[in-house]
Amino acid sequence: MPSPKPDLHAILDLDRTIHEPARLAILTVLAAAEEVEFLFLQRITGLSKGNLSSHTQKLETAGFLETLKAFRGRIPVTSFRITGEGRAALQAYHRQLRALLPKEGKP
Amino acid sequence: MTTPDLDTLAALTRDYAAFQTRKSGLATALGGLMAVVLAVGSLSPLFMGARLGHRLFLEYLVWTPLLWLLLKGLLARALYRGAGAVKALPDGAYERRRWFWIFGLAMFLLSVGLSGLYAFARGLLQAGAARDACVPAPPLWLLAMPPVYLLAMPWAIRGIEEARVYAVLVGQSVLWLLPYFLFYFKAPAPPLRTGWGLFGDLLGVSILVLWYLIVVWGALAMVRGWKEHRDFRRLLGALP
Repeated sequence: MPSPKPDLHAILDLDRTIHEPARLAILTVLAAAEEVEFLFLQRITGLSKGNLSSHTQKLETAGFLETLKAFRGRIPVTSFRITGEGRAALQAYHRQLRALLPKEGKP
Repeated sequence: MTTPDLDTLAALTRDYAAFQTRKSGLATALGGLMAVVLAVGSLSPLFMGARLGHRLFLEYLVWTPLLWLLLKGLLARALYRGAGAVKALPDGAYERRRWFWIFGLAMFLLSVGLSGLYAFARGLLQAGAARDACVPAPPLWLLAMPPVYLLAMPWAIRGIEEARVYAVLVGQSVLWLLPYFLFYFKAPAPPLRTGWGLFGDLLGVSILVLWYLIVVWGALAMVRGWKEHRDFRRLLGALP
């Protein structure tokens, strides 16, 4: 039986906003909680402040997360929350990637 | 960027969020210790009649749950929020179990309140000041504190371990206030004639069983709280 032709379009269809490792890590963390403060996100992803801000802005522009600004006493606190769209996109990305990866035991 | 794999990232976030919203670590251990100290202290003959200032020491026990709430808040701020705040995802089953404890405390307070009313209605206890009471009149606002604690519970208590500690401390403060009220509102007639004997025996046995349960639970809470605290330290160490 001839092996099925690899579907290159499936690889190209991967959501590039999520595919970037830092943004994937950010969305994974946000999907595991209801609301995450900037400080924790920075600590757990190991990103610099500037880098994290730039990635979260891109995710917010794509509609995958929302930014929440508040004050703790006089200190401004920034938190993030994944949107329904972001959660759906992350699940779709996982499904796509799993389908593309070789099955266990096969090269 | 050096990060663990995605599953580990998600698990670390969930565990950390659980500490922020549901677990209380050392506060649980502290609550267990307070419960054991109060239970063991009650065995001392000095405990019941001791005075602090012009008031009976028993009167101050009503503040124990509030003291624990304050310490819990301080410990959470000092120990469990260092790496930023994270809110856990809502969990319906967990919420139901938390409400079970709130309901349990409500039932306990209701049964104590109804027993008191029954005792007054049957004349087992004498309303008004007993002329030869050996203690000063208990301030009536003390009676308002347990319902106030109960009303605050849905907002002040977020985790099941916390709910257990709080329920035990509020229950215990009510139990140790009982003798204060009983010393003051004493039985007007010999116990056997009024039927106080059987009622008193049942009450005594219930309190004894509760005493043992509190001591065993307190010891377990200390171990659980310490374990939770160590788990959190390990979790902080696992963060990249």
